[in-house]
Amino acid sequence: MISAGNDIVALNAIDKRRTNLPAFYSKFITPSELTLYNESDISFQNFVWLLWSVKESVYKYLKRGDGDLVFSPSRIKIQQIDVADGFSNCPLQTDESIDLLYSGQTLFSSDQLYFQSSINKNFIATVVNDDAGFEQIYWVVKLIDKPDHASQSKAVRLFVLDKLNSLIIEDDLWINKHPIGYPILLHNNQQIDIPISFAHHDRYVSYSFQIPK
Amino acid sequence: MDRKEILTELKKVLAPYTESKEMLDGINEDTDLIKDLKINSANLVDIIIDAEAQYNIEIDFDAAEKMYNVGNCIDVISEKINKLA
Repeated sequence: MISAGNDIVALNAIDKRRTNLPAFYSKFITPSELTLYNESDISFQNFVWLLWSVKESVYKYLKRGDGDLVFSPSRIKIQQIDVADGFSNCPLQTDESIDLLYSGQTLFSSDQLYFQSSINKNFIATVVNDDAGFEQIYWVVKLIDKPDHASQSKAVRLFVLDKLNSLIIEDDLWINKHPIGYPILLHNNQQIDIPISFAHHDRYVSYSFQIPK
Repeated sequence: MDRKEILTELKKVLAPYTESKEMLDGINEDTDLIKDLKINSANLVDIIIDAEAQYNIEIDFDAAEKMYNVGNCIDVISEKINKLA
């Protein structure tokens, strides 16, 4: 099933002291996942939130195909995390520089998914796909002026529509929300088969989508 | 502690994480933490940790994953409190 799933964590908006407490991270990171931590590659704080963002992205990706799915972060198993050299086919459009790139794979029930994550001092952004290649994925992060929910929601919609209009050259594209909660793309009141995912946290918004081949 | 009392205390736990203060005042057991209260999912673990401290209980993996809806939160908290009683 073609779907979309992404997440973003604004690092200024998290509780850094709490992040390092086992009582906190053990709610969604399993003992076997803790063995993936390598302090030479990543700080523990970023490791914890990297895993959260991957699990949240996986949930969004799978929710589109299973409306009854409940977010069970400890059951989404992160099997592998690798330091990546670069995502040549998946540009991350932000004025900020990216410090670290990671890729890896996850398993939930029988669903194997792959992720790519970008980290700098301000955010951790993740996108997932059911293929290790991300050539068809459009994935962007943007810094906005205000952190309230209405501003985030408006900004990310305008942001993705701007990109979609440049790609598929249709007027009157607009975004609605499926009753289950994920965004859907419409043209003349007809749903277009381009799965979209939104994420926002504090002053960061991000979208991912893929155009089927 | 009955469900109404748990709901009253739960409002205090949720307050720091929602900008929808009007929705918070009017929450009921059908209220969704993310869709209705606009709580960012990144704060869901914070809410579980705060609820543990508020009610002096421990919420494990399986229980935590139900806590996206006020009624489910009350179910989990009520069950844990009753186990202690």
